[in-house]
Amino acid sequence: MGGSILTGIPYTWEEGLVIMGIMMVMLVIAIGLSVWKKIGIAREYTYALIRGGLQLFAAATLLYFLFEFEYWYYPIWLFLIAMALMGGYTSARRAGKMPKAYRITTPSILVGGTVVLVVLRVSGAMPYKPQFVIPLAGMVFGNAMTICSLALNRLTREFETNKPTLETMLSLGATPKEAMEEYGRMSIKAALIPNIDSLKTLGIIFIPGAMAGLLIAGTNPILAAEYQIIVYLMIIGGGIITSIMVIALSRRLLFTRAQQIAEWV
Amino acid sequence: MSILTIKKAKKLLGDARALRGLSLDLEKGEIISLVGPSGSGKTTLLRAMNRLIELDSGSIFFQGENITDMDPVDLRRKVVLVPQESVMLQGTVKENVQYGPKLAGAVGKCDVGRCLMDAGLSPKFAGKEAGKLSGGEKKRVALARALALHPEVLLLDEPTVGVDPRKVERMEGTILKFARDAGLTVVWVTHDVPQALRVSDRIANLKNGVVKEVKKAAEFRWEGAY
Ligand SMILES: Nc1ncnc2c1ncn2[C@@H]1O[C@H](COP(=O)(O)OP(=O)(O)OP(=O)(O)O)[C@@H](O)[C@H]1O
Ligand SMILES: [Mg+2]
Repeated sequence: MGGSILTGIPYTWEEGLVIMGIMMVMLVIAIGLSVWKKIGIAREYTYALIRGGLQLFAAATLLYFLFEFEYWYYPIWLFLIAMALMGGYTSARRAGKMPKAYRITTPSILVGGTVVLVVLRVSGAMPYKPQFVIPLAGMVFGNAMTICSLALNRLTREFETNKPTLETMLSLGATPKEAMEEYGRMSIKAALIPNIDSLKTLGIIFIPGAMAGLLIAGTNPILAAEYQIIVYLMIIGGGIITSIMVIALSRRLLFTRAQQIAEWV
Repeated sequence: MSILTIKKAKKLLGDARALRGLSLDLEKGEIISLVGPSGSGKTTLLRAMNRLIELDSGSIFFQGENITDMDPVDLRRKVVLVPQESVMLQGTVKENVQYGPKLAGAVGKCDVGRCLMDAGLSPKFAGKEAGKLSGGEKKRVALARALALHPEVLLLDEPTVGVDPRKVERMEGTILKFARDAGLTVVWVTHDVPQALRVSDRIANLKNGVVKEVKKAAEFRWEGAY
């Protein structure tokens, strides 16, 4: 599978296992320290590490075969839909007591993510190869999911704390759309803050994944930075679409058809 | 002619049977007081008339039309609620009073000073920040905000609670004058039976989610009414 971006790695995979072993020892020492200091995260940390490691290797195995597979673009569509579904369900858990929130998170993530991937593809930034499509899709959907969670979490909390105010507005003749407008705007803004902050610190304290990968693979730093900016702009654009969409769709779940605040709030 | 008719309204809130088949008929232009012990369903009834909550069964007719067939916004601009808790919206008193008319596209026709005076508050309050007012002042801003919608029916949920006792009778007077001049129908919830006797044409006595009796104010005997 020549041309993989991992050609920059300076050791064979057997040597890699040894290095990993050394890291494990260091980690065990670190976890030992945390047990000694009674920080109380050792168990969860170990679980997360094992789970994350297994997931990563499973994904890598899948990718290995996918990269070799001539008709890779058939399964990849399933992969993208699976990402959106996973993201939708994960994000829905951040929606407080909102019932059936996945019905609004999944389409929002799917649409925001897909729009970005299409633009990346059409503009030529993303060659139609699994080595590009899969990691980029991961970044795009991952960010869309985070933003979706943040926006929805904030909005449901605003509703729970400001129910009397919302009801006062409705009572004075506001439509649900008018009553929730300000809270929707606040939620979208809050959800985008982490993205904006990482944009601001780009290159200073934060070398994002794609650029790190390119640098390790030996790409010219200027080109790597340019590519990173393109990717970043697209990812943020997708996040904005997702957040606007999830807030707009949430109206149906927050209010009844008779323009009352839903009972679950 | 009746303007609002409530037929066998039932509503379960949590595990409380707040309304248990309540019926009541309101004449156009009358002022009717609702009295009754805490938890008897007075607030629930007003909220249902404003369609902030949906009845489990039974129905409410406004000018002969089932309110479930009306546009809720349209209903709420005609049957206007001044809730038990006055919640101030962000901004000044003036912005609060203009909130409803603005949404209706009629902010030009809204005389803020007039509305404040009709609610028993000096027009000087217009520029103050609404959130910082006292409880009694907020009550009157909430009333002014409702009057700004030019209601046909005014639903008042304990409108003078928290208002300085010396100003209560004056507030009653301004509400009565305003209501009579505009031909308003008023539903006035109160725990203060002497107040009910002062302000209303009829008094309905609620208990356990139904109307126990409705009497002309002059015939109402409140000994043991609760
Ligand atoms: N959101 C709610 N959830 C559960 N129960 C509720 C809710 N709102 C009201 N209730 C119950 O419904 C019943 C009727 O309440 P309501 O507020 O209509 O009484 P009220 O006559 O206005 O009383 P008060 O004079 O104290 O204002 C009460 O038993 C109350 O505890
Ligand atoms: Mg009440």
